Amino acid sequence: MADTTVLTVSDLTVTYRGRGRVVAAVSDVSLTIDAGRCLGLVGESGSGKSTIGAAVQGIIPADGTAEATGRIAIAGRELAPLTDPAWSEVRGREVTSVFQDPMRSLDPTMTIGRMLNRYTGSAEASVAALERVQIRRAGEVLKKYPHQLSGGMRQRVMIALALAPGPRLLIADEPTTALDVSVQAEVLGVLRESIEDAGCAVLFVTHDLGVARHMCDDIAVMKDGTVVESGPAEDVIARPSDAYTRRLMASRITLDTDRTRPVGAPEGAVVASMEDVLRGLERPALDVAAAWSAGDLTWQDFTGPTASVGAASGREDVHLVEHVTRASLAVNEVNKTYSTRVRGRRVDNHVLKDVSFEIGYREAVALVGESGSGKSTLLRIAGGIETADTGTVDAQGVAGEGTQVVFQDAGASLTPWRTVDELLRERIEHTRTGRGLSRAQMRDMARSTLELVGLDDSVLDARPTQLSGGQQQRVAIARAVVVPPSVLLCDEPTSALDVSVACSVLNLINLLRHSLGISIMFVTHDLAAARLIADRVLVMTGGEIVETVPAERLAQDITTDYGRRLVDAVLA
Amino acid sequence: MLVFVAKRLGSLVVVLFFLTLLVFTLGKVADSDPVRTYVGVNASAEAVTAAREELGLDDPVPVQFASFLGGAVHGDFGISLASKRPIADELSSRLPATLELAGWALMLTVVIGVSLASLYSRPGRVGAFLRFVFFSAASAPSFLIAMLSVLVFYKWLGGVLPAAGRSSYGPYEDGTGFYVIDGILHASPTYTWDAIQHLLLPALAASVGAGVALARVLADGISSSLSSPWARTARALGENEGTIVRRHALRNASSPALSLLAVQAGFMVSSLVVVEQVFSWNGLGSYLSGAIGVGDFPAIAAVCLILGAVYVVLNTLVDVALAAVDPRVRLS
Repeated sequence: MADTTVLTVSDLTVTYRGRGRVVAAVSDVSLTIDAGRCLGLVGESGSGKSTIGAAVQGIIPADGTAEATGRIAIAGRELAPLTDPAWSEVRGREVTSVFQDPMRSLDPTMTIGRMLNRYTGSAEASVAALERVQIRRAGEVLKKYPHQLSGGMRQRVMIALALAPGPRLLIADEPTTALDVSVQAEVLGVLRESIEDAGCAVLFVTHDLGVARHMCDDIAVMKDGTVVESGPAEDVIARPSDAYTRRLMASRITLDTDRTRPVGAPEGAVVASMEDVLRGLERPALDVAAAWSAGDLTWQDFTGPTASVGAASGREDVHLVEHVTRASLAVNEVNKTYSTRVRGRRVDNHVLKDVSFEIGYREAVALVGESGSGKSTLLRIAGGIETADTGTVDAQGVAGEGTQVVFQDAGASLTPWRTVDELLRERIEHTRTGRGLSRAQMRDMARSTLELVGLDDSVLDARPTQLSGGQQQRVAIARAVVVPPSVLLCDEPTSALDVSVACSVLNLINLLRHSLGISIMFVTHDLAAARLIADRVLVMTGGEIVETVPAERLAQDITTDYGRRLVDAVLA
Repeated sequence: MLVFVAKRLGSLVVVLFFLTLLVFTLGKVADSDPVRTYVGVNASAEAVTAAREELGLDDPVPVQFASFLGGAVHGDFGISLASKRPIADELSSRLPATLELAGWALMLTVVIGVSLASLYSRPGRVGAFLRFVFFSAASAPSFLIAMLSVLVFYKWLGGVLPAAGRSSYGPYEDGTGFYVIDGILHASPTYTWDAIQHLLLPALAASVGAGVALARVLADGISSSLSSPWARTARALGENEGTIVRRHALRNASSPALSLLAVQAGFMVSSLVVVEQVFSWNGLGSYLSGAIGVGDFPAIAAVCLILGAVYVVLNTLVDVALAAVDPRVRLS
């Protein structure tokens, strides 16, 4: 391994100007990477990590909105940030990159071969390049279009493309974030082997400390455009010196995380909601934040002998429920078949085969399974969005009203031209609780629910597009629980969120469940999150529930192939 | 791909059948008596009966439709009520005239669309001004543009371009009816150039609106292509902007542009009816307006059928082109 520096960034500052405001995306960042080394740039969204990734390739849009100062040197060659014409000689030769979204990062109108041959020189060389990223039957893959390949395959093609010119530096910008968890480990393995073979330096941009530890020799943690801590990966992970790094570490959920307590560091909004709940239960006042930090706070503290269903609405307790034996959601022998026509012949896709399960009062059940296993269809049927061909769904729980769904892409599930107030009112108006309420009363309900999910009054009159991803997800949850449903159905509610935001969303769901007695159905790929929320985990394969595992000892007890793969993916 | 083309051809035949049925039905329900148009208002009762016989109007309606359909397949559209000559003969010189004009107009549409596309998204005041000009041109009806262009190129500029007719020399005896092609076949540059000059103004009048619309869609497509993740990939692999536009963006932007072109081709066929009037172009359009004036329904039906067929065929061609450009259409 040659001990030469490939990338040097010194005092890099990048500012964006837009709508009269100047925002510093990156300020005074210095980094170096030696040949054969991998530097992990870790941070949450808005930390400036992707801006650095773009700056060292010279692909920050030069439309006058961005300005940069500082030095960038690649393989001994000095380059002015942003505008140096020499970038065109460096980019694609010395530096290449792998991007986050393999679904859209390849030109949909070109075959893989046509794209790859341009950079490898010949079809034979392309086959070799694909074989290096462990693609079998490379000759056939060359003739295919991107939409005919799976996400994992496309990302391998991206890696092959990026390594084809023999770069000295590879930028990997969240290369596995958009992939199915079980595929993520495979692709990371391929990436690591390929870059070891190629011997290039790697700048690995990620929000996931676990992935960074797995992939990188060194780690630099970024917050608000500056590097708060850097050093060898093991040191940073094992002995974080900065408070922010420690918070990031605490937000990581593993298969050993304590399920009975809130996860992560105490977060103001969630603490406030907890205090509200305790007040509603007329429990003795308690310093919630201190108890949380000390590890003395358990979910049990928020569950009374009676769960006050009206608490979320801020009204007097309407239904008081004690010993409940009736299931909140009962799914009985549900079948679903989708038919399509392929070359005039009918092809049946039996998505759900005699699926039955129950979710009890205040119980949480997680549903895991790979893409195409039928878990999302099951969620839609449970939520009444689709109907089953045969079988019954009974969602007449004792407490709460009906079912509500929180989707993965909260931004897309909120009507863009409605204000948050209107969005919440829409739900209230269509319930028994909301019947006969005045606008002002509904607004009060909305306000107190937003408080519960950690948003303040000002959000009420905002439209979804004016909010951040985390805020949108909270609004979606607020809409679902403003009138407590009997069952809350969550479809990957945290997968698109930063770890710390994901933590507060998970804490929030747990709090609502324990304080309001809502039953939860949680569809996910993330076994650690599933274990944290759920009492039982159902594993689905090929339209059937093949395994039911108690959450506590998930890692040890899960036996099916797919389940084991998910466990490995979390451990990786 | 072959399967795809075969499927499209199959549906083309079905659409043409229903088009024929529609045109035939319109003729039946239209409030005009074909016999009176044929023999005149002062004809005797015997003459009317004879004419009914001759025109086949005593047959049951399905039989009439069958013979109409059979004739149409062979290019026989019956007899014009006004001129009492076979419609097919009357159209034989007019169809090439319209097809030639339509072909050139379509070509000009593409030329205008592609060349304006880059001007369209130009930033600043120049861009805003250009967009204003394009927009006005696109919203003006084609006959207005036709009259304006006659005014400018023929009157003010002293006749740099001819503003009437198809040629200063008349047709070749053994020609195809497509004058530009005829000129080339007879190796006569003068004749060819003269035919092109005659084509320019009417083709321009018919294509300005469609061309601007096309430019707009292309410009939008290219700019959204350039901000797409795969354009970023190409940039990261060291491609310059020009290559990205040529190699990636144009192809991706052309699907919506092609769809639009198919729709515009339909409008163009109908705007030719007016444009031909302005430029005294002896094509289907001017024939149609004549036929409408005297209620010559078989002639109207024939023209409608032909224009409809041209439109359907164009659309099929565009569908096939779309499939060639976008593998997702072909392989889904």
